[in-house]
Amino acid sequence: MESYVIPTLFFLLFFCMMIGVPVAVSLGFSSIVTILLFADDSLASIALKLFEALSEHYTFLAIPFFILSSAFLSTGGVARRIIDFAVDIVGHIRGGLAMAGVLACMLFAAVSGSSPATVAAIGAIVIVGMKRVGYPEKFAAGVISTAGTLGILIPPSIVMLVYAAATEVSAARMFMAGMLPGILMGVILMIAIYIYARIKGLPSSPFPGFKKIAKSGLIALGGLMLIFIVLGAIYGGIASPTEAAAVACVYAFFIAVFGYRDIGPLKNVPWGRKEGESRNDAINRNGQQILMALPKSIFDKEVQKVILDASKVSIMLLFVIGNAILFAHVLTTERIPHQIAEIIIQWGLPAWGFLLVVNLLLLIAGNFMEPSAILLIMAPILFPIATQLGIDPIHLGIIMVVNMEIGMITPPVGLNLFVISGITNKSMGWAISASLPWLLLLLFFLMLITFIPSISLIVPELFDKMHGYK
Amino acid sequence: MLANIINKFEESFLSLLLVAMTLLVFSEVVLRFGFNTGIHWSQEVTLYSMAWFVLFGASYGVKVGAHIGVDSFVKLFPKKMRVAMGILSVSICIAYCVIFMIGAWNYLAKLKKISLEMEDLEIQRWMSESIIFLGFVFLLFRFLQLLIKIFKGEAEGFSHIDEAEESLELAAQIREEEQKDGGAK
Repeated sequence: MESYVIPTLFFLLFFCMMIGVPVAVSLGFSSIVTILLFADDSLASIALKLFEALSEHYTFLAIPFFILSSAFLSTGGVARRIIDFAVDIVGHIRGGLAMAGVLACMLFAAVSGSSPATVAAIGAIVIVGMKRVGYPEKFAAGVISTAGTLGILIPPSIVMLVYAAATEVSAARMFMAGMLPGILMGVILMIAIYIYARIKGLPSSPFPGFKKIAKSGLIALGGLMLIFIVLGAIYGGIASPTEAAAVACVYAFFIAVFGYRDIGPLKNVPWGRKEGESRNDAINRNGQQILMALPKSIFDKEVQKVILDASKVSIMLLFVIGNAILFAHVLTTERIPHQIAEIIIQWGLPAWGFLLVVNLLLLIAGNFMEPSAILLIMAPILFPIATQLGIDPIHLGIIMVVNMEIGMITPPVGLNLFVISGITNKSMGWAISASLPWLLLLLFFLMLITFIPSISLIVPELFDKMHGYK
Repeated sequence: MLANIINKFEESFLSLLLVAMTLLVFSEVVLRFGFNTGIHWSQEVTLYSMAWFVLFGASYGVKVGAHIGVDSFVKLFPKKMRVAMGILSVSICIAYCVIFMIGAWNYLAKLKKISLEMEDLEIQRWMSESIIFLGFVFLLFRFLQLLIKIFKGEAEGFSHIDEAEESLELAAQIREEEQKDGGAK
């Protein structure tokens, strides 16, 4: 009997997913059938398990909150402000516009938490701009589609929260761990761009002067503050990711509706003085408008749409997580990861060999599935094995996230490729070949992350020392 | 007409829950830092709201096609096979719902029998947890609807969410704004 558990569970899971059953139901159905066949849990206890999965984890709340806060700030207006700032900072270096694209992707990705949205928002503005000043379009498209993947590595990242949910690793530590690899990848991309720009003689723009940098920086800061609030609160140890995310939501709402005025009742109402308006009048007018707009924004169509969209995405993700917890429950009670771990140890596979296999497995899976779905299926299996082999769970998490990044620019399900081909009106084949050289760079980066654990672990360990644990 | 009212209700209820959860946690933070106090029922209410949010929302997600799934394999087949796979996959979903409905019913019955109350509020737990049953009833209803649609030829199977499509809408919007700005200059 025992030996049929693994085949039943996995056969059902993959069969369901292949014929198009939603991932959440595939996970729940395969788990529940396996339980009914091989375990003696009652149906009532399984229902309880699902309810508990959704109502006993305060940390899961960070997921809908981050989705909501990024929904408020994933607008074209925020993208444009961040791009202006990025161009002012690095635009004067040779190949600077491409570097600014990378920097803008990193910043916008941190705010929006989504890779495809980053590629769409930054790409729609930057690729056209790069083409205009003489960059090859293919180069521009490749840079942006790759830099856009950083969205899930640079904290705050929803994919990391999902990993934390699946493995009960601390989300705050994941956020600390993602920082250095994210910046490192950005720097690697910029160096590659600089070398290419030197060889091809790509243009640079004149230095805009510190005053202009300060001004565009201040404007962009409205959105970027979100990153500082969240990371500051978490790194400083004053708030949990859930609390930081709730504060971020309220902040994002105020910035989007009252500060930037990209959406909501104050849309297109100027901050500054109108013609013939005195300073005091302008202050009074703004004050009144803001007071009036607060109740109005509850009934505002655009605000409502942002909240509803965020609800949809959150529900979908949390429903998958709830079912994935049932799946993880079956895995642990049947000791499936332990069995696999024992086999691996019997083979004498060293930790680095295991990580190599993990990478291959995830790269293949990344070609067919959504990042969060892969994480929720694979993390509960890989996590206990990794622990037995002495691999740090945070390190494993970062490896998985980088693999998911690569999945975003490999066919057939590479979301960023679809977006790139959509915004440039070129074929998928073109988008694939545009991203190919950068894909090799990402693979090189994956190897760095896999075999130098300290890149991921140095920052969380530093914080441990600072706070005096261990 | 009725469909419209239900739709409006579903959307408002879900948005309300999300906003309520956010504001509850936010005010917890403000109270703790600003006034060194807290609301003792806040955490429990927030967590139950999350369960209601997800379990109530799951059926809404089926209606608007918000669930994630894999369609690259199904797409390889001719239409007849796709429809057959659609029927099979919806049937699996229906079986899933029925199993959970039975489990949830048994569980709630037990809770009612021993009349457990919530930790911080004087509400019977079989009531506050009733969404575990109701959610699957609504979900079952949406799956049956989808099944009928497939038989009528109005759908082939699940329509999964496409994040790339949604991002492209954002890109189109930005393009439009750029052009407007360009024209103004």
